[in-house]
Amino acid sequence: MTVDTDASHSAHTGIPHTDASHTGTSHAKVPLPPRPRPSANRIAAGSTLVIILIAAIWSVVALEINVASMVRSLDNAGNFVSRIFPLDFPPLGELLVMTGQTLAIVVVATVLAVVLSLPVALFAAANTTSGPVMRGVSRTIIVMCRAVPDLIFAIVLFRLFGLGALPGILALGLHSIGMVGKLYADAIEELDGGPAEAVRSAGGSRLQWITSTVIPQVMPQLIATALHRFDINLRTSVLLGYVGVGGIGLELANALRTMQYQRGMALALVILALCIALEMLSGAIRASLLGRVPANRRGVLGFIDRVAAGWITAPRGGRELQRGKDGRVRIAPQWDRERIGRFAGVALTIAIVALATVYADLDFSTLAEDLLALPQVLGTFLPPSPQDLIDTLLEAMLVTVQIGLAATLLGLVLALPIGVFAARNVASSGFVANLFRTIIVIIRGLPELILAIVFIVITGLGPIAGTLALAIGSVGLLGKLVADSLEETDVRVQDAVRATGATPIQVFFAATLRQAAPQFIAHVLYQLDVNIRSATLLGIVGAGGIGFYLLNASRVQEFDVVTFIIVMVLVTVLAVEAVAVWTRKALR
Amino acid sequence: MTAATSNRNIPELGAIRFENVTKTFGSVTALDDVSVSFAANKINVLLGLSGSGKSTMLRHINGLHKPSKGGVWTLGTPVHSAGAATLRGLRNDVGMIFQQFHLVESMSVLENVCTGKLGSLRGPRFGLWSYPRAVREAAMEQLARVGLADKAFQRAGTLSGGQQQRVAIARALIQRPTVLLADEPVASLDPLSSAGVIELLTRISREENLTVICSLHQVPIALEFADRIVGLNAGRVVLDRPAAGMTHDDVDGIYAPIPVDERTELAG
Repeated sequence: MTVDTDASHSAHTGIPHTDASHTGTSHAKVPLPPRPRPSANRIAAGSTLVIILIAAIWSVVALEINVASMVRSLDNAGNFVSRIFPLDFPPLGELLVMTGQTLAIVVVATVLAVVLSLPVALFAAANTTSGPVMRGVSRTIIVMCRAVPDLIFAIVLFRLFGLGALPGILALGLHSIGMVGKLYADAIEELDGGPAEAVRSAGGSRLQWITSTVIPQVMPQLIATALHRFDINLRTSVLLGYVGVGGIGLELANALRTMQYQRGMALALVILALCIALEMLSGAIRASLLGRVPANRRGVLGFIDRVAAGWITAPRGGRELQRGKDGRVRIAPQWDRERIGRFAGVALTIAIVALATVYADLDFSTLAEDLLALPQVLGTFLPPSPQDLIDTLLEAMLVTVQIGLAATLLGLVLALPIGVFAARNVASSGFVANLFRTIIVIIRGLPELILAIVFIVITGLGPIAGTLALAIGSVGLLGKLVADSLEETDVRVQDAVRATGATPIQVFFAATLRQAAPQFIAHVLYQLDVNIRSATLLGIVGAGGIGFYLLNASRVQEFDVVTFIIVMVLVTVLAVEAVAVWTRKALR
Repeated sequence: MTAATSNRNIPELGAIRFENVTKTFGSVTALDDVSVSFAANKINVLLGLSGSGKSTMLRHINGLHKPSKGGVWTLGTPVHSAGAATLRGLRNDVGMIFQQFHLVESMSVLENVCTGKLGSLRGPRFGLWSYPRAVREAAMEQLARVGLADKAFQRAGTLSGGQQQRVAIARALIQRPTVLLADEPVASLDPLSSAGVIELLTRISREENLTVICSLHQVPIALEFADRIVGLNAGRVVLDRPAAGMTHDDVDGIYAPIPVDERTELAG
């Protein structure tokens, strides 16, 4: 942190520190111009960062995450390993059914999220909104959907609709609007407004210029974001098994609740494989959609590329104006490989969504009745009250924040070296970079829930398990963000520093790291934000913090306590996000 | 719409009329009490430095900007007071092309041309198939006219700048406009492509008897292309005469330096 504060001063004055070296030469001494004082905002932001760092260190100490507790856990680890073998896989048929159920819920939930997010994003984006009021409403919807964890949506919706796939789908779908809507709105705001203006000046209405220019331009990002969210929803759906969302997560929760560790760990392994496989598949499709792949790949990846080609690459041109026998102009493109591939892709997507909708077995028969009961159900949640648990709840909330802070710090320590080696412009060879990129993808595929369960068995119930699980989980996202921000630095600056005879290490610190520092801080604050949210959720499996009390209160139907906890979580999460956003802006 | 249609063949009204138009953006005055009218079926070129108000003037003609003071009449429609529906109808009769082409690069050339017809179609469109067959055929005919029929199914972003501008011209022509606005149509092109685009614009404007208002930076092209030249400096009309017989020196006055106090005002 100190290094960074130093560096930000030099950015502020625009004077590199090396200017001082001139004083030792025979030239006349150049007086340094007075340093402009950093603005109050920057000082405040810098102090905030220092305070967060101190709080994170304190959290690590307070949660007793140290070598001694690790050593103490070693015995447990041994016991744990002996208790999970032999793994007890369910019969293949059963396994396929539960996997299918999970995938169906996640597909439908993600489609729902996309369908709901697109209009919200169009109203939230400055260039497509209808006015400041709608923009404010849409932005509020996005922020609220993001701030309310899917778990809380699930608890409320289960109360409303009863058991079944519907509450799970709605919970995942609604919470997803927070991320998907935000990313869609960002993508729309970054668009070149020219084509829209051209259609407007030809007399096109707002709806027409949106569908004819805005949507086609953002289509690759729309799909890529949906795929990204699909991966996240898959992992969350497993966690939601604990509150009754069907599929493989529910089976896992049941197995662990009844101490069937051999079955539980077998299911965890299946989930792990599923998550990693789908993460890699969706990663390949996303890279292809956004035009970041080498040409002419074969096999499955080649098919993906051809499907994506509809939005990216240039087809072969060179056809003359063709007329039919009746003299009419031919106005449809020919069915070439690329067009067939694109249509196959669209057809496949529609088929998957249709299949998932049928398989999710949604029951709308009682929907009207359930919705009529909404005021009454909401009534049981109000007014919020801590009952006689106020001290316990506040302490648990503090522990949740501590878990988030400690996990982010530990995650950063692990993610920095991994991210640095994964950056192609820093790693010694392409092989090293690819190796570390692969490690990051695998870590990203690990559901935090599975990690938390493993650590709970090893370290016992409590915050240490949650912290370690989140710390490792952070490596996946943070490592990727670190690598990306290093790769996005301006290589010409590095060349310039290298040309002065600097060693690779000097180049790394003076040019590469220095350029990426502001993004680093932004990413770490974002990760902190994410970790505090996740810490809330992991509590339900016993990994420490407020989540445990949330699940308990909903089990014993003390819904006023549930609401109290929801409000506490919301306030904390929004406050952390506000601080993160403000700090990022002040340090930009 | 009816007003626009009924007036489109009455040249004495003037196809386009600015009356004491002032336009300010915050503290910047982009147009300063401009009164000028453009007769039908003529090619008018606007000359002036960047920031002199050429684009602002063009964008008042189809209501992309509304005047802060004064009135603009295009084809008989009072643009300054027109509502959204009236403006849509008017814009259907006024084609516009831009310096940066403004094509959707990820869409096919043909679909880009079809979007020009949106003003006379109802409802949203997405994808080539969503346009009526007649529109797609008309788009093909216009592409053939600008010499790009063979690129119809190619993605617009893969064409050269000159080709993209010709696609944009086809997109404007499919509207069957009476007025064509061109905002520095060749400023992003190399000299050879520029000549091609200007040649095309001239030919089509004569064939269709279009009323053209075109802003340009290249004086020689302007002198060759225009029937009439209007010079703008700091938001005021400083020259307005037929192009025939004009020389370089006649035009030079347009580019006279702006007094310092006004320049800072413009830069702000």
